[in-house]
Amino acid sequence: MASLLRQVSKALRAPINRNIAACYQSRLQSTETANVEPPVETRPTVRKFDAVQRTQLKDFGKYVAECLPKYVEKVQLTAGDELEILISPEGILPVLQFLKDHHNCQFANLTDIAGMDIPSRPYRFEIIYNLLSLRFNSRIRVKTYTDELTPVESCNDIFKAANWYEREIWDMYGVFFANHPDLRRILTDYGFEGHPFRKDFPLSGYVEVRYDDEKKRVVIEPLELAQEFRKFELSAPWEQFPNFRRALPVAEEINVDKKE
Amino acid sequence: MITTKILNLLFILFFSCQCHSARTVTCDRKMAHQTIRQNLKQVKPILSLDKEEARKRVLSLYKAWYRQLPYIVKQYDIPKTAEQLKQKLREEFTKHQDIKDVRVIDMLVIKGQMELKETVNIWKQKGHLMSYFKDTWEPKPTDFLSKFLAGKE
Repeated sequence: MASLLRQVSKALRAPINRNIAACYQSRLQSTETANVEPPVETRPTVRKFDAVQRTQLKDFGKYVAECLPKYVEKVQLTAGDELEILISPEGILPVLQFLKDHHNCQFANLTDIAGMDIPSRPYRFEIIYNLLSLRFNSRIRVKTYTDELTPVESCNDIFKAANWYEREIWDMYGVFFANHPDLRRILTDYGFEGHPFRKDFPLSGYVEVRYDDEKKRVVIEPLELAQEFRKFELSAPWEQFPNFRRALPVAEEINVDKKE
Repeated sequence: MITTKILNLLFILFFSCQCHSARTVTCDRKMAHQTIRQNLKQVKPILSLDKEEARKRVLSLYKAWYRQLPYIVKQYDIPKTAEQLKQKLREEFTKHQDIKDVRVIDMLVIKGQMELKETVNIWKQKGHLMSYFKDTWEPKPTDFLSKFLAGKE
């Protein structure tokens, strides 16, 4: 009975949602094109995804989420066939250790650590670990988040490669890595103030450096570029590329059963 | 002599924090507890767990800089004396005297330690060290005539 009711309610709900979506689309879209779901890719110039690989990646994402339910918040596929695992910052070490040492993972290679700054978020920085498994010829991305003052555990004990990557993140974003053996600047000049990859860092920087002939040394002076405040509105009011409406979604979430 | 100076500095640094905590204690405890719960969120400490620990870190950083100053004067070819450097050191520390957040203090201490390491190992050069003194900075025009001469307004 209950299942019957659920089906009926589902059937009732579904078309309403679709209608709302359709309304929304009709408001945004100025050019009339056929309103269809993303079809099977037939264009010769666009990369096609291996369906088997995609299912394998989905299964593997689910497996990781089941093994580490405490830390994995979300699993998603981006760009069609790139697996991403979004974790809470407490879980960096256990998750990376798992991915490196578990027999079915063996992501023994840390390709890169990247940072991202989105100032509007409560935790404005994202730290992104790119891992490579040579054993299974597979890549995975682990994402976590932090803010200016919350320290992140250094994964230098798990991946030796993390040393310089974390120094780079520290230098560019000012994210502090706890228990890092040698955290200091790596790209900026000594005495440089600020973190250049933060979104609130001005394009020209705060200072300019020049050689002073009287002092016979390099001097550092504040830089001020006089320019009135302008707000650039870059989006056009009309839709320029209606064909790109059919582009793939940026991220496709993989449903993971959260068993209590 | 030195200790009294440092104590003075500390007093400036942390007097306001103490005032603040004293005020909270005088409130009704239950009320205070509730408001604190509402206004504070649990955060991960950087290094120090409380103000006292942060204060000790600031002090030890100040001492470490202070003890290195004579060597810095000798090793770098800068037209400054140890006394002038001491004054500058004090100025750099008192610049942040209003900061009460323990984590911000910790972050500044970490950056200060890194600077000290860069200076003592002579990774920095003369220009980097002299940039603390800002001796080539031109003051911003304030009155009408200087603004006019600078071509502003």
